[in-house]
Amino acid sequence: MDYLIHILIVALIYAIFAISLNLELGYTGLYNFGHVAFFGIGAYSSALLSLGGLPVSLTMVIGMVFAGIAGGLLAIPALRLSGDYFGIATLAFGEMVRLFFLNERWLTKGPMGLPGIPRPSWIGQGIAGLPMFLLLCALLTLIVFLMVRRLTTAPFGRALKVVREDEYVAQALGKNVLSLKIRAVTVGSVLAGLAGALWAHYITYISPSDFTLNETILVLLCVVLGGRGTNWGPILGAVVIIFFQESLRFLPIPPDLGRFVAPLQGIVYGGTLVFLMLKRPEGLLPEYKA
Amino acid sequence: MTYYLQLLLNGVIAGSIYALFAVGLTMVYGVFRFINFAHGELIAWGAYLVLLFMHTPIFLPIYYAVLPALAGTIVISLAQDRYVYRPLRQGSRISLLIASIGLSYLLRNGIRLIWGSDLMTYGLKPARGIYFAGLSITLTQISMMAAAVFFLGSLYFLLTRSLLGKSLRAVADNIQLASIMGINMKKVSLAVWVLASVFAGVGGILLALDTNLEPMMGLTNLIKAFAAVLLGGAGNVWGALLGGLCIGIAENMGVAFFSPGYKDFISFALIILLLLFRPGGIFGILVGVR
Repeated sequence: MDYLIHILIVALIYAIFAISLNLELGYTGLYNFGHVAFFGIGAYSSALLSLGGLPVSLTMVIGMVFAGIAGGLLAIPALRLSGDYFGIATLAFGEMVRLFFLNERWLTKGPMGLPGIPRPSWIGQGIAGLPMFLLLCALLTLIVFLMVRRLTTAPFGRALKVVREDEYVAQALGKNVLSLKIRAVTVGSVLAGLAGALWAHYITYISPSDFTLNETILVLLCVVLGGRGTNWGPILGAVVIIFFQESLRFLPIPPDLGRFVAPLQGIVYGGTLVFLMLKRPEGLLPEYKA
Repeated sequence: MTYYLQLLLNGVIAGSIYALFAVGLTMVYGVFRFINFAHGELIAWGAYLVLLFMHTPIFLPIYYAVLPALAGTIVISLAQDRYVYRPLRQGSRISLLIASIGLSYLLRNGIRLIWGSDLMTYGLKPARGIYFAGLSITLTQISMMAAAVFFLGSLYFLLTRSLLGKSLRAVADNIQLASIMGINMKKVSLAVWVLASVFAGVGGILLALDTNLEPMMGLTNLIKAFAAVLLGGAGNVWGALLGGLCIGIAENMGVAFFSPGYKDFISFALIILLLLFRPGGIFGILVGVR
């Protein structure tokens, strides 16, 4: 039972993470290949501040703000160019952030990571706190889901879709394309920061190796598998992927073959991305196009 | 003074390898107008395939193992194009990019599956340094530079003196006009992939000779190649060459001022700065879509 709750919590955290990427990738058509950077910034800033003694609910908000600032600051130069370059810049940014975590030992303890990150005080520590943490995650996922649904059905969301389909049309209709994109990336980064902060306070231990390109690929797969540009897609994708990943633990794999599991999983993920693009680019839940 | 000269020399050696990576990447961009995120894996597979042909059950000496390894790299890149990129070329750009990043993840995990995640070497005797005017250089490094000069020189003659090279340049300039003029697109696309994979494979093998092999080498060097391409202006072969040299020099001179842990950081930061201030590259004129 505790294990099921654990899977659900991870799935919900990834759902928030995937919703945040979907806002950029699905609605605005921006390929962010370094989205994990904002997840990491949210996780590290919230973890460090709470280890410093601040209350967790406050540090999570600060983590979101930091992630949002980083996202906005990256978006301003990177978005003056067309999509491909944004992909490169974000990929490089993701690696830069990871190197920063790895090298600034005075702050992040480098590869040793940060152990003993506290949970919010009203949630019990250890296993006893699992149900309450699930409740918190469910509540936050619901808020994020409703907020993003509101955003994307509002004129703002429709304008984002126009930007995705054709920037020139959006310009011709008098939309400020750059500002729309920057706002989308900033909101996406804030939400990714929230997911990261939740992750840090749930797992209670983070290290730079938690924030690599692998996590970006995983969340990209959640979005693409579920359905880009839909509200339910990222959540469905996150649940399917996380349950798949966790169910692998129950396979009776002899210990000497253990080292093959992670690469095989990677091959499956990469292969699924390619296969989806070739055969079903709209994912499980296709976007409704009027 | 000698210290800085030594760093400069190291920079030129590393830079000539980065130039090999960047030239291939920029050629693919020039002709197909998309950024192949799986280019880095061609680098890594080239290097690892040499390992394959050197060990059980084949036991080729390293000089002979290079040829089948390069052939393997070419096969991988042609298969990429035939089964993934070509079917997607007519579709949306975002599908193409997601597919290429999925493919790179697949190929990288393929390496981890076969060879594991640990550092590996070709197991050659460590080369003795040759001292000249206080500077140290190994025979491997001399051959690296010689190979880079040879390959880039042949590329120069191919592009400027042969009919194939002329059609390559014509296609890069304007693909529709080129096909109207009766240039065989199949031949051009074959040539581009073969050239790109040979250059990536050779660079990867040379790099592995001087340092070591690890599954992440593709990604790290891909980002450096990106930086070089951006420095030179996308699609510009000579710009990429100069860009590669500059990245190598900047990175190695940077060691004098920053902690070596940040060596890779320099090229990442350079990408962001270039996108901010000189999106058209420093050496090149901007061609086509940015």
